[in-house]
Amino acid sequence: MVTLAMHMIDIVQNSLRAQADMVTITLDERGDESFLLFRVEDDGTGMDRISLERLTDPFFTTRTTRRVGLGIPFLKMTCEQTGGSLRVASTEGEGTTVEALYRTDNPDCLPLGDLEGSLLLLVMANPAIRFRFVYQVGKEAFLFDTDALREQGIDLQHPQMLTPVKRYIRENLEVLWRHRAPESYLC
Amino acid sequence: MIIFYIQIRMEHTTGIKTLADLKRIQEEVSKRIGLRDKAENPESLVQVKVAMATCGIASGAKEVMEFFALELDKRGIDAVVTQTGCMGYCFAEPTVEITLPGREPMVFGYVNPKKADEIIERYIKNGELVDGIIPQNYNTIES
Repeated sequence: MVTLAMHMIDIVQNSLRAQADMVTITLDERGDESFLLFRVEDDGTGMDRISLERLTDPFFTTRTTRRVGLGIPFLKMTCEQTGGSLRVASTEGEGTTVEALYRTDNPDCLPLGDLEGSLLLLVMANPAIRFRFVYQVGKEAFLFDTDALREQGIDLQHPQMLTPVKRYIRENLEVLWRHRAPESYLC
Repeated sequence: MIIFYIQIRMEHTTGIKTLADLKRIQEEVSKRIGLRDKAENPESLVQVKVAMATCGIASGAKEVMEFFALELDKRGIDAVVTQTGCMGYCFAEPTVEITLPGREPMVFGYVNPKKADEIIERYIKNGELVDGIIPQNYNTIES
């Protein structure tokens, strides 16, 4: 994976396979502590202790189409290469939280990539799921909630809305990024 | 065409910062597409499923899915574009499964936006087969 947006699509797929109804994606930039916290929280089936222990093993997967499972191992690799860490908490029947900490003072920190485009494709492909996307820089935050948009009558399934909604997210993110610490390698 | 162009320009210059802006655009879009609503029966639509597991994402499935979603709409083809998991053809990612109404699903491998364009123009529009089809009888290696 070469961008955080790619990881986001990948990790959210796990939540979808765990029959989640709501997925919350958080990106929290803390300039003063030089890190970025990337978190995916779901209310899916959760995992038992044995699955949780084997999660970072690339040869562990619940799939039958192939015998490797690289989503989590890749995430672990990219955050650890910046000096960060991966934390996964899960309760059976309640859900799972995946949290990757990236050091933003390390040049190996992944670029963010096309966050808005990736998010909207997830939204488009999964109309029954409520997605919440929170981007935080210091005290400033932007919240994108598919329920709030649908309440306003915005059709997130229509391809012609894809570009405007992408711009809506992008413009709000750009406002936040002005608050980013100058020494951050995030881009 | 000119009106459409002006609308795009307006969207471009006024900015889309708030939900109210989005709502305004939604109203414009709804007016534009009002007459061409999606058929109620999904069987009559072209179904495009882009494989989006780790292997697919890493090989560029996002760009392919975006291309299909935007281009099928632009070219006036009624289609549903969704995601699916890994079909076991990791070597040929990005892979796309296309089901034309009343036909068997067909899986295409090594799809990039250029290939996707060829698939739309030749397979989806005319039913012609194009290079890159992964045969149905292909099996994954058994343990």
